[in-house]
Amino acid sequence: MLLCDFHIHTTYSDGSVELRKAIDIFGQAGFDVIAITDHVVSGDNSFGKLAHRFKYSVTANNFNQYISDIKEEAKRAYDKYGMLVIAGIEITKNRLSVNDSAHILIVDVQEFIPACIGYEEIFLTAKLQKALIIACHPHYMSGTGDRDTLFLWNNRDKYARYIDAWEIANRDDVFNVISLKKYPYIANSDFHKPGHLYSWKTLLNCDKNIDSIKQCIRHNKGVAITLFRN
Amino acid sequence: MWVFTVMIVIVIVLYLLEALAVRSYTASPKPDSGRLARTFPAISILKPLKGLEDCLFDNLESFCNLDYPVYEVIFTLQDQNDPAYKVARKIKDKYHSKDISIVIEHCDAGLNPKVNNLIPAYKIAKYGLILISDSNVRVEKDYLSDISHHMDDPSVGLVSNIIRGVSSRSFGAAMENLHLNSFVAGSVCVLDKYLDMPCVVGKSMLMPKDTLEAIGGFTSVKDFLAEDYIIGQRIHALGKKVILSNHLINNVNEYWSLRRFINRHTRWGKLRWQIGGAKYLSELFTNAVFMAFILMLIMPVSTASVLFAAAVSSLKIAHDMYIGTRLRAGMSPLLYLLSPVKDLIIGFIWFVPIFSNTVNWRGNRYIIGKGSALSPMPETGLWLLIYKLLKN
Repeated sequence: MLLCDFHIHTTYSDGSVELRKAIDIFGQAGFDVIAITDHVVSGDNSFGKLAHRFKYSVTANNFNQYISDIKEEAKRAYDKYGMLVIAGIEITKNRLSVNDSAHILIVDVQEFIPACIGYEEIFLTAKLQKALIIACHPHYMSGTGDRDTLFLWNNRDKYARYIDAWEIANRDDVFNVISLKKYPYIANSDFHKPGHLYSWKTLLNCDKNIDSIKQCIRHNKGVAITLFRN
Repeated sequence: MWVFTVMIVIVIVLYLLEALAVRSYTASPKPDSGRLARTFPAISILKPLKGLEDCLFDNLESFCNLDYPVYEVIFTLQDQNDPAYKVARKIKDKYHSKDISIVIEHCDAGLNPKVNNLIPAYKIAKYGLILISDSNVRVEKDYLSDISHHMDDPSVGLVSNIIRGVSSRSFGAAMENLHLNSFVAGSVCVLDKYLDMPCVVGKSMLMPKDTLEAIGGFTSVKDFLAEDYIIGQRIHALGKKVILSNHLINNVNEYWSLRRFINRHTRWGKLRWQIGGAKYLSELFTNAVFMAFILMLIMPVSTASVLFAAAVSSLKIAHDMYIGTRLRAGMSPLLYLLSPVKDLIIGFIWFVPIFSNTVNWRGNRYIIGKGSALSPMPETGLWLLIYKLLKN
């Protein structure tokens, strides 16, 4: 089984660890597959404007550099650790109400996708890029209060058909509603700092290449979750 | 006031001795490992693994790239589900042409989990020399060549190394590395150089199998917390030399929490209290920073006492910076400013062993007795109640 984490932030957005070090933390711990998914924050409100001002977001201007850096590090990680590193982003739509907020992972992203466009446009653009679409922390999280992101769950009847997998577990939280709905699932750390290494993870029973991994998650067979503890 | 002043003058002399001892080890030229006359005996490296240490992959990989003719590496674990297994497996796959084995065997011969981990590895070790090396250790290519030359002398029974803490990226790790690079390195060098008291730290121990067998093997230390110290003492008592090699090895501590630092040094303090007895008391009086602050607390605060504490702290910073520089620990000079903070924490930790003799190590709870002998923590009764109260 491949030990995987598809939700990792670096100093390209609000992570505390720079890209190379974040990759090394996972490589040193024996991981097989990870995705770097820094925030692309919607700048159409004051939250987003602040995120852009303080450089907590990948933007259209630095997206190519971001992807290029990940690819360079991915080659190093594969040579050194035999670990596959995939480029991704986390589309971040934060609103005043948790019911209107949503975070979406786009894994294996090829071109920049702005977060300020509509949901369907985001999903269709990601589909055109053959990227994986994952709904992040889709339900109530412990201890976050006003930072929950419930929009996709509240509108699941409309959007579930676009979503390849839902986070059934994120860091220390488990969202049993995903299993009740029998949605395809994965589990991630939402890594922002080294301590987040020890959290929920995904195990995949497939070959270690991007196409097999995407297929395995979409078909959701040979997928397991594990609480990674030291 | 005068009592404290005299005490602190004595401590300053001790600091000087520490600095001189460390200087003598780090100043001596490295042995010429390329000498034609010397031999390179084959070595079995036993690496007990339990959980993920910081930079585990790099640490293990450093043992696969040693410039040494014949050696084997044995990674040993109690459980295949240990996260370290996956890392060991990756290293073995990457270096498939090297002589690397992975042993997974649950062994509960004794109460010391590290010794339990070593016993199955020892059974399959092929060579006459064994090297016990912890998983949080990273070494240079010339490590084996440098330490094994001591074994040319048949009277040598054990070679250990000076350790230096490296790579801190968190407050707890900075505390840990400051302590390793001052108190621990300084004490080990002083004991070895001036008092002829071998103080073996188990991060790196090279010894002939027959010497280990002569003291009863691993099973003779299976119920001691300080198995490294006991092995050193017993080999010394056999009349064999216990050598402190000047080859520095890296103890990688990158993302430690402050809690982990406190836990480790509380455990080590309990161990020294149970082994050293009254000698442990001297440790408090050699913590000049702590004593200077105690002086501030018990005397009316005055300019003189504040200046005195500031002067002692400055001296300690300079001392730690000197030792750290000699050890080539690569710490940022600014980190040494935390040295007095670390000494204050250590000062408070010092009291814990006087009141508590229980340890929680690698998920196991023990009562620690004389000489660091371990006994199991009762699951019922007063001890458990006390433990729970302390834990909560």
